[in-house]
Amino acid sequence: MATPSQSKYVTLVSNDGFEFVVLREAACVSGVIKRSLDPKSGFAESAAGRVTFDEINGIVLEKVAEYFNYNHKNRNREDVPDMEIPPELCLELLMAADFLDT
Amino acid sequence: MVDSHFDGALAFTIAQSTRQAGLGASASGSDFDTQWDILRSALREIHEKNASKLSFEQLYRASYKIVLKKQGEMLYDRVKEYEEQWFGSEVMPKIGKLITKNLTNVTLGGVPGTTANERRITGEQFLKGLKATWEDHITCMNMTTDVLMYMDRVYCQDNRKASIFTTSMGLFREHILRSKAAASNCITFDILNYVILDMIHMERDGDVIDRNLIRSCVYMLEGLYESDDENETEKLYLTVFEPEFIRTSNEFYFNECEKLLRESDAGTWLRQTRKRLAEEAARCQTTVSQLTDFKIAKVVEDQMITLHLNDFLAMEGSGLKAMIENDRFEDLTILYQLLTKVDKSQEALKIALQARVVDLGREINKSISETNFAIAQPKDDDAAAEGADKPKAQTLTAAAQATAAAIKWVDEVLQLKDKFDNMWETCFEEDRIIQTALTLSFSEFINAEPRCSEYVSLFIDENLKRGIKGKTEAEVDAVLDKAITLIRYIQDKDMFERYYKKHLTRRLLLGKSESSDVEKQMVSRMKQEVGNYFTSKIEGMFKDMSTSTDLTNDYRQHIQGLGEVDRKQIDLTVNILTSNYWPSEALGGGKPEENGIRQDCQWPSEIRSLQDSFTSFYLKSRNGRKLTWLGYLGHADVKCHFPKIPGKESSKERRYDLNVPTYGLIILLLFNDLPEGSYLSFEDIQEKTQIPTMDLSKALTSIAVLPKARVLRKDPMNKEIAKPGDRFYFNEAFVSKTTKIKAPVMAGSSNKVEGDEERKATEDKNDEHRGNTIDLCVVRTMKARKELTHQNLFAEVIAQLSSRFKPDVGMMKKRVESLIEREYMERVENASVPTYRYMA
Repeated sequence: MATPSQSKYVTLVSNDGFEFVVLREAACVSGVIKRSLDPKSGFAESAAGRVTFDEINGIVLEKVAEYFNYNHKNRNREDVPDMEIPPELCLELLMAADFLDT
Repeated sequence: MVDSHFDGALAFTIAQSTRQAGLGASASGSDFDTQWDILRSALREIHEKNASKLSFEQLYRASYKIVLKKQGEMLYDRVKEYEEQWFGSEVMPKIGKLITKNLTNVTLGGVPGTTANERRITGEQFLKGLKATWEDHITCMNMTTDVLMYMDRVYCQDNRKASIFTTSMGLFREHILRSKAAASNCITFDILNYVILDMIHMERDGDVIDRNLIRSCVYMLEGLYESDDENETEKLYLTVFEPEFIRTSNEFYFNECEKLLRESDAGTWLRQTRKRLAEEAARCQTTVSQLTDFKIAKVVEDQMITLHLNDFLAMEGSGLKAMIENDRFEDLTILYQLLTKVDKSQEALKIALQARVVDLGREINKSISETNFAIAQPKDDDAAAEGADKPKAQTLTAAAQATAAAIKWVDEVLQLKDKFDNMWETCFEEDRIIQTALTLSFSEFINAEPRCSEYVSLFIDENLKRGIKGKTEAEVDAVLDKAITLIRYIQDKDMFERYYKKHLTRRLLLGKSESSDVEKQMVSRMKQEVGNYFTSKIEGMFKDMSTSTDLTNDYRQHIQGLGEVDRKQIDLTVNILTSNYWPSEALGGGKPEENGIRQDCQWPSEIRSLQDSFTSFYLKSRNGRKLTWLGYLGHADVKCHFPKIPGKESSKERRYDLNVPTYGLIILLLFNDLPEGSYLSFEDIQEKTQIPTMDLSKALTSIAVLPKARVLRKDPMNKEIAKPGDRFYFNEAFVSKTTKIKAPVMAGSSNKVEGDEERKATEDKNDEHRGNTIDLCVVRTMKARKELTHQNLFAEVIAQLSSRFKPDVGMMKKRVESLIEREYMERVENASVPTYRYMA
C-alpha cells in the first residue's frame, strides 16, 4: 500500500480543527479512508495525505484514532482486553463507524 | 467495530439522529438535488480525469446523505442514466471512428483485398482504442464506486441490487460491445473477436503481433459477464470469444495437418505438432486466457495427432517403421510424449509397435528356416549318395551350422529385444502398457518358431560351455538375464525343460560345463522365474553329481582301507544317476535294440571285478537299489604300448596315455590278446562285447578312423564310419607328438540342433508326457469338483497348465475319452450341456 513517495502517516482532521496523525496502515481499516487515499483514484486527499471530516468532532475522532492504533497494535493477537469507551460517546462513535465503514 | 447485524437498525438510528445531532446538513426536500449536483459534476470531473480537484470526503458525504434519506434508488438510477449518456455522447463516437469500413468488411467475410499488414495496423488501432476506452471506464467506475461506497453498502445490499460497479460493467457491455457500428450491421464485439483471431492467425503464420494488446482485450472480456449475476461460467470470454477461437483453431490445425500429411514426413509432423502445442500453451499464457489452455491443447491434439495418427505412423520412409529401423530415438520420444497426451493407453502406438516387433521377429524366424533348409539340402544329398566317397565332415559341419544358426537366432532375438528395451527406456519413459505389449509380441513371434525351446536351451548350453570363459561376473549375469528373459517368453516350458535337461546331462557327464556355480545360478534363476516343479529334476541332477563325487571318494578310501594295493587296480570314478531325474533319451547312446531291451555289453573281466567291487560297496549301505552300468557314457584312460616300427631305425618303443570312451577300452582290451598281424571283424567285436551296433560303430570310428587317435587300422582304409563288414587291425605304426591323447568324441556327444527324426522323437516323448500331465490335471480337477461341464473343465485345465505349456484341445479331448474308458469319470446323461462326473 505504502509506495515510497507516500508518507507512512496520514492526518485526520475533525470538523473543529483537531488533527490526528495516524499510521496509514492503521487508518486504512476504514474503507472510506482507504479509498479516499487510494493513489489510483487520485482524489485531493490522496495527494495531501490528509482527510478532513466535516461531520465528526474532535472528541469522537480522537476515539476513532485511538481505535485505529488499538486495532493495529493488536492485529495478530488473541485475548485482547476491550477498549474503554465512555458510554456518552457510544452513539456518536457508532455513527462515525458506520460512516467510515470500519 | 460495527457488526453487520445491526446495519438496518443502525441506519434507522442514524436517520433519527441526523436531525437531532445535525450530523450533516439539515434535512430538506430539495436537499437531494443539491447533493446530486455535487455528485454529477464530480462524475464529470472523474470522467475527464480531473479527480485531484475533488475531495473524496465531500463526495462520499454527499452520497451518504442521499442514502440516509432513503433516496438511494434515485441516486442509483441517476448514476446509471449518467453513464449511459456518457457512453452515447462521448465514447461511442470515438469507437465508431475506429471501426473503419475495411474492418467491418473483413469481419463480414468480404473483400480479401487488404494485406496482412494493413489489417494488422487497423486492427491494432481498433484494439488500442477499445482498450483505452475500457481502461478509462474501469478507472472511472472504480472511483465512482468508491465515492458511492455507502450506497453500495447500504442501498444495494438492502435492495438486492447489483452493485453500481457491476451495473456499469453491464452498461459497457450493452452500450459499447453490443452496439452496432455506425457503418454496418455488425456489432463491435464481432469486430473485436475477428481482429483478435486474425492477429492470432497472423502469429501462427509467423508474424509478430502485439501480444500485450490482445491480452488486455482478453482481460476485458474476462472481466465482463453475460449478465449482472457475474456467474463465473458466463464470462463473455467464455461465452463469446472462446468458442470462436476454438472453432477457428480447429480449422487452422485441420488444414495444417492436411498440409503436413501431403507435403512432409512424420519427423516434421512430430516436431511441428510439438511446436504448435508449446506455442498454444505459451499463447494462453501471454496472449489469451489460461482458461483456454487445455481446450486449445485438445484442439491441437485432436486435429494434429488423433485425426491422422495412423497415416503418419504408416508413412513410408519416416513412419514408425523407419523410426524403429534407424533408431530415431528423438522422433520416438516426441511421438510417445505426444501420444501420451492424447491417449493414455497408447493404443495406436502399441498396435504399431507390436506389428513391427512381430514383423522383425518373423524375419528372424524366416532367416533361420532358410538356413535350416539350406543345410538340410546337402544332407539329403549325402544320404542319397551314401557309399560314394562323401566326406562325413560335411554332415558334421552342417549340423554345426544348424547349431550356429540356432544360436544366431537367439542372438538376433536378443538383439531385437535389446533394441526395443533400449527404446522403451529412452523413448517411452518405461511405460508399463508398452512393456506389456512388447512382451506379448515377443512371445508371439518367438513361439511362432516351433523350435524355440531347443534353440534357447542350445544358446544357454553354448554359453555355459564356452561363452562365459574369461567373462566377469557382471557379464555372466547379463547372459543369464538374457537367457531368463527368453525362457519367460517361451510358452511350451515343458519342451524347454526337456531340452535343457538333455543338454545339461551332456554338460555334466562329459565335464563340458565351464562353471558349476554359474550352472547353479542359472537353475536358481529358472526356479524363481518358472517355479519349483520345473527345476526339481534339474536340481536332482546336480545333487546326483555331488553325491557321486562323494561316493567316488568314499570308495577310494574303502579300497585303500582294504590294504591290498594292487598295482593293476583300476582307478574308478562313478556317477550315480537317479534314473527318473535324467532324461533317458539323452543318456541313451544309441537307440535301444529292436526288441526294446537294452542288452548289457560283455564287460571284460578286469572291469567286471571292479564293477562287482563297487556294487557290493554301494549296496552295503544302500539296500534294495539297482545299479545299471552305462558304458557308453563313460570314458577311460588307457596306457598303450607300441613296439618299434619294423624297418624304421629312428623309431623306438612308444607309450601313450589314451583317453577313450569306455567302449573303446573294451574294444582295445580285445586286441591285447591278439596275435600280431591278425584282425577282428566288426561282427567279431560285436559278438564278443555285445555293444549295440550304433555305439560300437561310434567307438570304433573314434579310435580307428579319426586320425588323432588312430590306434587301430580299419580295412578298407577310408574315412567312413566303421560299419559291419569292416576289419580292424592293431595299428603298430601309430605315432603321436603328445603322450596324452584324447580320442576325439564322435558326433552326438556335443549338443546341437536335432535332426528331423530326433526332433520327432523328442516331440513324441513330450506329447506323451503332456498327455500324462493332462490326465493328471483332469483327474485332479474332477476330483475336486465332482461334476463339471465340458467347457468349464477345459478352461480350468488350460488355466492350470498354462504356466507349463499350452495344451492342444484335440489332445485334451482324447485324454478325456481315455479317462472315461478307464472309468475315472463318466458323461452325465441328459445334461443340457456336455457334462462329466467324477467316479470315485
